[in-house]
Amino acid sequence: MNIVVLCKQVPDTESKIKLLGDNSNYDQEGIKWVLNVYDEYAVEEALKTREAGKAAKVTVLGLGPKRCEEALRTALAMGADDAIHVEDPALDGADAFAVAKALAGALKGVDYGVILCGKVAVDDDMGAVPQMLAELLGIAQVTVVSKVEIEGDTVKAYRDVEGGAKEIVQAKMPVLLAATKGLNEPRYASLPGIMKAKRKPLVKKTAADVGSSAAENKTKVAGWSLPAARLAGKVFKEGELADRVAQVVKLLREEAKAL
Amino acid sequence: MDFMVDRRDIEFILFEYLNIAKLLEFDKWRDFTLDDFKMTLGEAIKAAAGVLAPLNQSGDEEGAHWKDGKVTLPKGFKEAFQQYCAAGWLGMSSSMEWGGQGLPATLGLACSEPFISANNSLTMAPGLTRGAANLIEEFGNDEQKKTYLAKMLAGEWCGTMCLTEPQAGSAVGDTKTMATPAGDGKWKLVGTKNFITFGEHNLTENIVHLVLARTPNAPAGFQGISLFVVPKFWPNADGALGAFNDVKCSGIEHKMGIHASPTCTLNFGDENKCYGTLIGQERKGLIYMFKLMNEARVGVGLQGMSQASYAYQLALKYSKERVQGTHILAFKDANAPRVRIIEHPDVRRMLMDMKAYVEGSRALLMSTAFFLDMCTGSGDENWQMLVELLTPICKAYCSDVAFDVAELAIQVHGGYGYCAEYGVEQLARDIKIASIYEGTNGIQALDLVGRKLGAKGGMYLMAFLNLINTFCGKHSADPVLGGLVKDLEAAKNKLVEAAMNFAAKGVKNPLYPVSYATPFLEMFGEVTFAYLLIDMALVAQAKFDALCGEKGCADDAAKKKLRENHADAAYYHGKVQTARHFVKQTLPRVYAKAMAMASEDLSLLDIEL
Repeated sequence: MNIVVLCKQVPDTESKIKLLGDNSNYDQEGIKWVLNVYDEYAVEEALKTREAGKAAKVTVLGLGPKRCEEALRTALAMGADDAIHVEDPALDGADAFAVAKALAGALKGVDYGVILCGKVAVDDDMGAVPQMLAELLGIAQVTVVSKVEIEGDTVKAYRDVEGGAKEIVQAKMPVLLAATKGLNEPRYASLPGIMKAKRKPLVKKTAADVGSSAAENKTKVAGWSLPAARLAGKVFKEGELADRVAQVVKLLREEAKAL
Repeated sequence: MDFMVDRRDIEFILFEYLNIAKLLEFDKWRDFTLDDFKMTLGEAIKAAAGVLAPLNQSGDEEGAHWKDGKVTLPKGFKEAFQQYCAAGWLGMSSSMEWGGQGLPATLGLACSEPFISANNSLTMAPGLTRGAANLIEEFGNDEQKKTYLAKMLAGEWCGTMCLTEPQAGSAVGDTKTMATPAGDGKWKLVGTKNFITFGEHNLTENIVHLVLARTPNAPAGFQGISLFVVPKFWPNADGALGAFNDVKCSGIEHKMGIHASPTCTLNFGDENKCYGTLIGQERKGLIYMFKLMNEARVGVGLQGMSQASYAYQLALKYSKERVQGTHILAFKDANAPRVRIIEHPDVRRMLMDMKAYVEGSRALLMSTAFFLDMCTGSGDENWQMLVELLTPICKAYCSDVAFDVAELAIQVHGGYGYCAEYGVEQLARDIKIASIYEGTNGIQALDLVGRKLGAKGGMYLMAFLNLINTFCGKHSADPVLGGLVKDLEAAKNKLVEAAMNFAAKGVKNPLYPVSYATPFLEMFGEVTFAYLLIDMALVAQAKFDALCGEKGCADDAAKKKLRENHADAAYYHGKVQTARHFVKQTLPRVYAKAMAMASEDLSLLDIEL
């Protein structure tokens, strides 16, 4: 059984995000790019599964401009066996659907039992590609997964649901699993791992190869804006404690509408 | 507090200033690529932040503990050490033959910075092990190499350097530990060593001590000292651990800082059952040890800089968050808006002093490692002369200014800086040792003045002056930075004058250069920092101009706007202003010291203290 891991390169969450002058996108200059943290959980789970003798090979699959190679190399340095990189200007600005379609196209002819990915990418926070990809491939999917058990061709996945409960889903392979925090503790790439990574195969695919492009987009971006600046906090110092609590509750209800 | 590393500045020095790509042309590093280097640095920073940094404050609070001869490190240290070693960081720039990664020293040093910033105490164990392994590789025999190197570079066994004895600290020639031939190529050791860093601990199953000892009939002083490998447990032929080798830890020190680094007293041969093997030839021990010590001295400068950089960044962050008082120009208006303390000129003065010290130190340390790589790669010994000359500057000047930086970081934090929670007081305590161990900074000044200035008929100094003179000749007419270059040239001339005066007067009165060795070393450091900061500023200015051209920013207003909105533009402009600040504010201290030295006043020798 082989595993495919979807890897997206995203801005480091410590990057300062600025918009372009015409609000058509965020400014990508000066951004430090990293492998999406949820994808790191996915890579780690794939490697652990292989190390446990339950998978033979781990392939990482990414889509994006040239720089995305770094994210794929990071996954290879962690221990993945090979990589597929879908790189084509025709995919610039591709939305979740166009990306899912491209990934599905890239997986044609690839033998896999499990697709692992992050539940969401921390750049646009959409969390849509995993579900769409599973649908396009016609395979089972489990999202927000924090624990995985594999026995033969059966996958038991524990997903985090509201209220702190776990929902347990059992599925036959092939299956797509979208990882969340808590699944594991991703390893750091080792120095020998980094040196070996550059000798591992990295196959390039074009938009034509995978049969998708930004022209397939189902959504249109109206514009970009930054979240409103956070307002300064309020400290309640005056009066009796009970009165102050009452004030806080009142404001939480009426102003913040949090209650 | 958040862990922070100035990755931008490290990458600038590696890829834009030193242009480490040059090293890839040498056979030794041909298999590497710049991408490997970038990724390696990135992973080092990640591992430092994720594995080592979380244990720094808890390690300081808990400290190392001694009980019945055993030393236990704080919670989590063993696991973090193992994780560090498993990823290959211990042997990153060690020989591949024995399991190291073979990276250039420059990159090894660059990647060490984040680990040290994250947890100075913990990194002492791999640092010493690396140094001891390098020494065995260079001077040990085949059997010693086979027995120890692979285990040490994998972090399975740690290494130490055992020099100090209660009566032999700076005066290492007074070593009393005795080694007598015991047949079968072994020597029996008896003696006590103290201040042995990581002399005993629970990180590894075995510890490999490199021990200085005197042999029978050896002459007194330096010439009578030999070097031995003394394992805690004798390894069997199959590598498994054999008999306990009678090395006992009788206690650890309670120190101002580096609480998680055990500073041990070791008794060798209490029961007359301690054996070692000789490294190289008898009575050459200090020559071998100096090889390790020179590496370690640059490493100590690096300890200072790495922690100072962290302290600076904590202070910078705090100064941008802490709101206190109104702008100084609005001091009469009680209702004026409250400002962040970074708006106060005196706070900015402190931040700029810190920035210049840290970036000057980083440039000096990385350049020194780069010169070493150039020597290794090209075989040209001229590079080695620069390394030898700059080593005491790396050790002493970088560690001294690092403590100044930590002190300023506390000051910027105000009362909170004096409290443990903000982290800067721990950095100050942990940095302080850097001016003391591995040869006090006073010893470094004597090394510079007594050994390095006159070495090979003054060739070391000439190599350095050639570097500065060529630089000044080339750049004194630079439209932006030419003025600073002229300032540098004038200060350098004062330094040369002082050195000449040492040579002329020192023959008659050796106490004259000796008494002024420390201010001389400081002058040397100030001139060197000025050179490096201006040299980096030239690179940065060119990049800034190119960016302005690219973005069509012609006038000052447009350039200022670019700086405000473009991280690289701000960074490059910052490099230029840092050079300017250092040359105008700190370099003039050269003149004060030159004046003091020219007075030839020696009242310190003629007084009953």
